Amino acid sequence: MNLELIPLLIIVLLMISAGGVDVETTEAVIEGDHEITEHRGALIVGDATVTVPEDETISGPVYVIGGEFQVLGTVEGDVTQLSGSLVVEEGGEIGGELQHIGGSEELADEADIAERTTVEFTPAEPDPVAAYTPVVLTTLLLSFVGAWLSRKRPVLLENIGTTARGHPVISLTVGALLSVTFLAVFVFMAFTLVLLPVSILGLLIGLVTIAYGIIGLGYLAGKQLDTPRVELATGLGVVGIMVLLQVAGAVPILGDLIAGGLLLIGLGAVVVTYFGLQKFEPVSLPE
Amino acid sequence: MKLFVFVRERQWIPVIGYLIYVAALTAGYYYNLTFVQLGLTDLGTREIGMSPEDVSIVMAVLALLTLVAAVGSGLVMDRRGWSTDLYVKFRLLFLIILVQLLLTIAAPLVSTVEQFVFWVVVCSMTLGLGIPVTFSFMLDFIPIRDRGYVAAVVAGLSFFVAALYPVEWRIDEFSLVMSAMMVPAVLVLAVLSVKRFAFVDVLAGQHERSTFGTGRFCRSIPIRTLSFALWGPILLMFGVFFIDSLGFLRIIEEPLYIYTSWQSPDLSVRLFIAVLHVVGAVAAGILYTNFDRNWVFLWVFGLFAFTHLLYVFDIQFGAGETPALILPMFYVLAVSFYTTLNFALWPDLSTAETIGTHTALGVGIAGWLATFMSTALALYSEGIGLPLGRHLTYVNALSLLFVVALPVLLYVHRMFELARGGASS
Repeated sequence: MNLELIPLLIIVLLMISAGGVDVETTEAVIEGDHEITEHRGALIVGDATVTVPEDETISGPVYVIGGEFQVLGTVEGDVTQLSGSLVVEEGGEIGGELQHIGGSEELADEADIAERTTVEFTPAEPDPVAAYTPVVLTTLLLSFVGAWLSRKRPVLLENIGTTARGHPVISLTVGALLSVTFLAVFVFMAFTLVLLPVSILGLLIGLVTIAYGIIGLGYLAGKQLDTPRVELATGLGVVGIMVLLQVAGAVPILGDLIAGGLLLIGLGAVVVTYFGLQKFEPVSLPE
Repeated sequence: MKLFVFVRERQWIPVIGYLIYVAALTAGYYYNLTFVQLGLTDLGTREIGMSPEDVSIVMAVLALLTLVAAVGSGLVMDRRGWSTDLYVKFRLLFLIILVQLLLTIAAPLVSTVEQFVFWVVVCSMTLGLGIPVTFSFMLDFIPIRDRGYVAAVVAGLSFFVAALYPVEWRIDEFSLVMSAMMVPAVLVLAVLSVKRFAFVDVLAGQHERSTFGTGRFCRSIPIRTLSFALWGPILLMFGVFFIDSLGFLRIIEEPLYIYTSWQSPDLSVRLFIAVLHVVGAVAAGILYTNFDRNWVFLWVFGLFAFTHLLYVFDIQFGAGETPALILPMFYVLAVSFYTTLNFALWPDLSTAETIGTHTALGVGIAGWLATFMSTALALYSEGIGLPLGRHLTYVNALSLLFVVALPVLLYVHRMFELARGGASS
């Protein structure tokens, strides 16, 4: 599953939850090619090609968050498009409201759409300042938190930093296992709708833990500066790590692997040290 | 890793020990995974025409006889000192592989139920004897420091090859591959059985070194056969094997699940599964080496619980669509985790004096008895017409029970230790 779909998926699940749709009839299609001939309840189209064939009717509502949704037959309810591609062919019918928020759409002249609304976003100018503002703000926030922590509770960052440096493979393994398992568990929880708040909370805690890991790595990088002002060194270290992540992210595959590896090492180091409260010591084995 | 030290110092004899161990255990486990577990089902159903239920009963008998043979031979090996005599173990292994080679060649020729049962009885004897013989090689060849990693290599390699080849789970194809693989092994073992070699003498003495002979969990106090320290892990591993087998036995009957994952005609899908097996095994090896073993158990139960939850969810809401690869992904991770643990754990719970018995009890009860009981239960579940979704819900409940019970048991065990310490002081 494309990880970029997860935020949209959670938004859609929130919309479904707010709309009072029965969870048991909700279906998400996240990969492959599918022809839907009968489906009662909400349908989420993810990284898949989903077609409603000619002379077939589904109830809806339908949420398109990726892939392609082709309507040759009839959708009785609303269709909301957040991303991906929507194609309504000649003879295709949408009985409810077609709400276009994002993505590309192709509507045949003869298509029968009961109501159509478009949420307009003012196209953003290609402004590098605006593009990098969130990253800069995040970097500044993490730097300040890192500087504060390194002055108030340096031992926390020391434990995380030394673990990341001394046991990178263990940290990476733990980080990778945790992220894969818990990401799947939280997405799965989101589908139950009842556990949606837990899922969102879990994902937020995950993000905070990753951010804490970045601060730990920043502390480690700051120590290389050899300055007695540890808070300044940590702040600059965090900036360095964030710049490295940005630069690495710009390089396809290898850069992503490096950036992902760094984040997972940080995450693993945070977890195995109980958020820095305890120094990590692997079990003692005879040499 | 200690292996790198040996290579750096050009100590090639211990390195040869690693290679012998990995080759023997990987080939043995691959044989068990493919030929015994999958090929025999094909032989019974397709070639002989038995019903799947009857074949399952014969497989359950195979599991039970293997357990008896393993425990019996483990006890004899320890009492006679064969567990620490490498030459005797080579001779026993030669005998085992020779009989298995004959069985493998004969398998496609088996055509009646009587022949099939006889074949299974002889096979179970060799499998049972093979457990203490091969698992106790750890003591001769692999230092404690590296056992998690080497176990990971064995588990990862066997599953990797088994996931990719052979594509068809048919006895004739298996028979050809296995026979070709066994002939060189029989020849090498024949030579090692009759002639003494200087390098084997060195390997045979390695168990006397403190870094080889006494298992990781026996360093301060050797674990006794009748103790919670051994039977606790046996119970946990029994739970793991039981959960895996109980769930998988019904999943493989669903073409929708099996032909979109383990037996997918798409090579990239099988490659994905094969690589995941390796990744899971390596992760388990790292965790086993650096953390307390109970964390690995906890991960395994957690992974199984989540996996079965995914399958149940897919059965209920999937509407017969092609299931997402995330389902076999978590299954594969869990299986690789516990297989790695299984290879490393029993030798680490043993000393040179108890390794035959402890590995036989561990692998026999946890692996084979669990398989026997889960097969029987899966047959019963099928017999009473229990739908797959409901069956997997029970399996899932069992996994969750273990997830909860493990920390509770550990906590209670610690309480008992503290109470006993308090009373004595």
